[in-house]
Amino acid sequence: MKLVNFKFRHKLNTIIGGEAHNFCYQCGACVGDCPAALYSPAFNPRNILLEALLGDEESLVGPDSVIWDCTNCNTCYERCPQAVRPVEVIIALKNISFEKGTNPPGVKSILDSVKESGRTVKTSSLSDRRRKELGLKEISIVPLEELKKLLE
Amino acid sequence: MKYAPFFGCMISVKYPQMEASVRKTMANLGVELVDLEGFSCCPDPIYFKAADKLTWMTLAARNICIAEEAGLDLVTMCSGCTATLSEANFHLKHDPELKEKVNQRLKKIGKEYKGNVSVRHIVTVLRDDLGIEKVKSSVKKPLNLKVAIHYGCHLLKPSEIMRVDDPDHPTILERLFEVAGAETIKHEKQVLCCGKACTHEEIPEKMTYDVLSSIKKSGADFMGLICPTCFDEFDLGQINLSRKFSVDLKVPIIYYFQFLGLSQGLSPEDVGLHLHKTKADEMLKKIS
Ligand code: SF4
Ligand code: SF4
Ligand code: SF4
Ligand code: SF4
Repeated sequence: MKLVNFKFRHKLNTIIGGEAHNFCYQCGACVGDCPAALYSPAFNPRNILLEALLGDEESLVGPDSVIWDCTNCNTCYERCPQAVRPVEVIIALKNISFEKGTNPPGVKSILDSVKESGRTVKTSSLSDRRRKELGLKEISIVPLEELKKLLE
Repeated sequence: MKYAPFFGCMISVKYPQMEASVRKTMANLGVELVDLEGFSCCPDPIYFKAADKLTWMTLAARNICIAEEAGLDLVTMCSGCTATLSEANFHLKHDPELKEKVNQRLKKIGKEYKGNVSVRHIVTVLRDDLGIEKVKSSVKKPLNLKVAIHYGCHLLKPSEIMRVDDPDHPTILERLFEVAGAETIKHEKQVLCCGKACTHEEIPEKMTYDVLSSIKKSGADFMGLICPTCFDEFDLGQINLSRKFSVDLKVPIIYYFQFLGLSQGLSPEDVGLHLHKTKADEMLKKIS
């Protein structure tokens, strides 16, 4: 039998900000309307919560973790009778995965784009021209120095 | 009526036709949008939040501070920006410890989050501040078309934070499209999301395909929505899907303020319909 990894559970609680997910009683209400569960057989928010309660670090934040199939639709947040906010547990797991470097590359590239340009979509000569044609002002400048101080 | 608009990166950079439509239609409704300087990306509620939640919250708080300094409520036009800014505002208002942590960081740039403005998706301004009747009075040419609405996820959920409408039985977009003349058509995949956030690309492909096919089957003339990110998935995404599955879906995707603009008498070029990847010609023929 596996032992509960309390250290991992504690870390998770700190990121989520509270211990609400400890009250998950495995009812499965979060599964029924979960679009990711419908389209990805490996994905099941109730199972993720069970693994989170056991502190199964390897499976949850390893390189092949299923957490990245969550669509962030927030339906489970609506449905859970225990106010667990499963999606927030999944996001906290993603934060830990990012810290370990086991995240998919797309996550890092969004972060880099915000660091470099202050935006997730960078401006280009095409976007400038389009704005002009539509009679819009030039796009406002993001104070990157300020952002840098917050991002370091 | 004055608000600080937060257009976000998708609209200002990739889909400026949405910005143009919002500005023109809101001017027609007598709403003043006061542009403030210094906003960054909201930041993105999916990947950025997945990387580092506290930094995500801090950058969101910085954007909210800019509106606080001007004493104006923020209005958002993208469901993603709405999600990030509403969520940050909600938690920072309700959790003094978190507020303290975030303000510690904001001190480095001489800002302080106070918690005295609201974040509103622009459709709630139409319904609650202006009123549906006022919107109706701006319509010169009701457009008799059938719309299948796509709410998307983040406008409505989590409802305790978003407070836009009943997440299971929303009516806000139906009412807004209807006053501009449209008939709203129900379809099977009404509440399905697009799956954009999934890292395995087959999932979002299947989801968007299912949503578009369900709309196609419903007999609607177009899909109506209120978010540039949903738009990106269904407009640009549709081209890739049609190729990949050798089907011709041809469901035009229209942002609400483009539709309202047309009904107020703006031309298709004024609202930038020519910039869409999935062409709206068939639909436009019906109303010309
Ligand atoms: S997270 Fe909530 S809805 Fe899901 S199994 Fe646990 S208690 Fe039930
Ligand atoms: S947010 Fe919840 S309901 Fe939505 S895909 Fe993720 S786990 Fe499923
Ligand atoms: S939600 Fe998306 S579009 Fe809006 S500012 Fe953030 S990254 Fe840009
Ligand atoms: S439909 Fe897609 S883009 Fe729109 S809110 Fe849902 S996940 Fe986001």
